[in-house]
Amino acid sequence: MLTISLKIEFAGGLELLFSNQRSHRISIPSNPASTPNEPPKRADITYLIHWLKDNLLKERVELFIENGTVRPGILVLVNDTDWELEGEGSYELMDGDEIVFISTLHGG
Amino acid sequence: MSCENPTTDPDALMNRRPKFDKAKTCIKCKIAEGNIVIRHAVYCKDCFFPLLKTKFKRSLEPFVNRLPNGPRKKALNPSGNLLIGFSGGLGSTVLLDLVHKSYFSHRKPRESGGEVEAVPEQQETGAGDRYRDPRQERVWKKAAVCYVEVAGAFPGMKDRTEDIQRIVESYDDFEFVPLKIEDAFNGEWWESVDQCPSSSLLNFDISNEELPFFQSDSTRLTPLERLHTYLSRLPSPTAIPSTIRTLTRLLLLYTAHSTSSSHLLLGTSLTSLSISLIASVAMGGGFGVSEEVQEEWIPPRSGIEGRKEVGVRVVRPLRDVVNKECATWAWWNGLTVVGQETVPGFKQTIGGLTKDFIIGLERDYPSTVSAIARTCGKLTPKDEAGGQCVMCQRPAQRGMEIWKQRISVRSLADLEEAPSGIPIGTQENQPSLSPYLCYACHATMTSKSSRANPSSTNGPKLPTSTSDSKTVSNLVPLPVWVTARLFGPADKVQAEDPSREGSGDALRDGEVWRNVELGREEMRTAVKDFLLDQDE
Repeated sequence: MLTISLKIEFAGGLELLFSNQRSHRISIPSNPASTPNEPPKRADITYLIHWLKDNLLKERVELFIENGTVRPGILVLVNDTDWELEGEGSYELMDGDEIVFISTLHGG
Repeated sequence: MSCENPTTDPDALMNRRPKFDKAKTCIKCKIAEGNIVIRHAVYCKDCFFPLLKTKFKRSLEPFVNRLPNGPRKKALNPSGNLLIGFSGGLGSTVLLDLVHKSYFSHRKPRESGGEVEAVPEQQETGAGDRYRDPRQERVWKKAAVCYVEVAGAFPGMKDRTEDIQRIVESYDDFEFVPLKIEDAFNGEWWESVDQCPSSSLLNFDISNEELPFFQSDSTRLTPLERLHTYLSRLPSPTAIPSTIRTLTRLLLLYTAHSTSSSHLLLGTSLTSLSISLIASVAMGGGFGVSEEVQEEWIPPRSGIEGRKEVGVRVVRPLRDVVNKECATWAWWNGLTVVGQETVPGFKQTIGGLTKDFIIGLERDYPSTVSAIARTCGKLTPKDEAGGQCVMCQRPAQRGMEIWKQRISVRSLADLEEAPSGIPIGTQENQPSLSPYLCYACHATMTSKSSRANPSSTNGPKLPTSTSDSKTVSNLVPLPVWVTARLFGPADKVQAEDPSREGSGDALRDGEVWRNVELGREEMRTAVKDFLLDQDE
C-alpha cells in the first residue's frame, strides 16, 4: 500500500492530548478505503483527523473531535495556510505536507 | 420544495459555502495568496501582522491620555505606569508580545519628570538632543506584569508561577508581580498595596439572604483556609468561577493602584469578551455590562491621611481581535502559551456553557460574535448608579433589595433561626452585607442551584477549612477590601448611596451604628432654630 509522509504539529495546549509532544512525523495510507465496499480515495484531512484519534491521541477524545471534525476553537493550518482556504476536511493530503492543529481555547 | 433524504439522494445536500468571500487572494495587498481567513476576509501572512497591530493600537491609544479625545497622534501621555494582567492564556500572551513590540523594544526609556511634548512636524528630524521624539520614547515609564495564581483554591491544580515568570522575564522591560488568589484574604498583602490594615476580620452568614455580618475571631485561620471556607460555602457551581474572577480582578486593580499605574491592560479577546458579556448578563450583571467593555476604577478611600486617590483605567486592547487571530499571531511569532487550567466543574457553569455556545457560534457565524460585543458596547443603564458594590467595586443599581423582594418568593423561616455562636447583636439590629452589594454579587452569594451544593456533588471538590464546626458552618470570611470598607467610618457607604438610608447599619469600632428616617415633626424640631418666622 502506498503511503504519504506528513509532519504534524500540535500547539496551544493540544499537545497535552498527544503525549505532550508537539511535533510528530507520521506515514498514512495515501488511498485508504473508508468502507470495504467503497473504492479507495485520496486521504484527506477528515481521514487524518480520525487516523490521529485512533493512533496518536492518548486521552479525552472529546477535546479534539466533535461531530466528525475537529472541535470548534481548533485552528488547522495546512502548509502555513488556514484550512478554510483549502477546503477544510476535504483537502487531499500530499506527501510532505505540514499540518498544524492549534487550540484557541486555552484561556484568555 | 420537498425535504429530500440526503442518505439516499446525495444531491439533496446543499454544497457547503466557502468560509471566505470572493477569491483566495489577500484583500489588502491584492497580490499574494491568502494565508488566513478572518471573518470571511482573506489576508496573506505579510499583511496579517500590521493588521493585528493596527487593531491593537486602535483599541488602546485613544484611552492612553487622560482625556480620551485629546491630541494623541504624536503624544501619548499616560498619567502613571502600566500594569498588564497576565494569566498565561492565549490572549494575555499575545497582549504581552504586542505591548513589548509596540511600546518597549526599540524605544528609549522615558525621561523622568515632565510629560512628553509634542514636537512640531518640521522640527522632528535632525533636531539632535534639543527635541524629544515621542515615537522613539517609551509611552509608560515603568511596566509591570501581574499574575494571580489560582492553584491554591483547587487541590491537584498545578502551580504555574515559575513557567509564567520565565515567560515574563524573557522580556527585558517588565517587572514581574506574582500574587496568589488567597491574597484576597491576606491582611499582609492588603498592607503591601498601601491600604490601611483592618484591626479585625468580618464573617457573614451566607445561609441568610440578608447576609448579616459579624466580627470574627478567625484570625488563626490562614488566608488559604479562609479562601477555602468562602468557596466551599458558595451556593452554586457557577458562583465559584465567578468569585475567582471577581477576586482576581480586584487583586489586579489594587496592585495597579499600588504600582501607581494609570492603566491596567487585560488580554480579553473579542471572543472572550463576548463570552464574558453574555455570561455576566446571565448572572445578573446587566447593570454593569458596560464595565465589562471599558472600566474606570476609582478606589474607595484608603483611610490613609493626605493620600490622593488616582483612578485606574482598565483597557482591553484585543477587544477587536478574535481568538483565531491571537492563535495565528502566537504561532507565527513562535510564542509559548503556558495555558490556564480550567476550574474543576467549569463546563457545567453559566460561564462554561456560554463559552461552548460562543465558540461554536464563532466557527459557523464568525460575524455574530463581534455583533454581541458591539451591541453590548452601546448599552448604558437606564438609572444612575446608587453607589459602589463593596465586593466587586463596580457601580451598583439603586433599590436592588426592594426590587428583589418584589420579584422573588422568600421564606421567613431562615430569619427566625439566628445562627448559634453569634458574638454580637440580635437579628433585628444586626448589620447586613446585602445593602452594600450589587445585584450580581448578591445573586452569586445567595442564588442557589436547582441541584445540590456544588461541593457535595457535581461541582469542584474543594477542601474545607479546619474551622468546620457546627456553630460556624454558615459563617464565611470576607475579602480584605470588603472588611476595610465595612469597618471604615459608617458614613462611607451611606454618603455614596443615599437610597440606602434607613437600611444602613455599619460597624464602627465594634459598635453598631444605625440610620433612622425622621418624621417631619422631628426634622422640624431639629432645625427649628434656623427657620425664619413665617409672620415676618
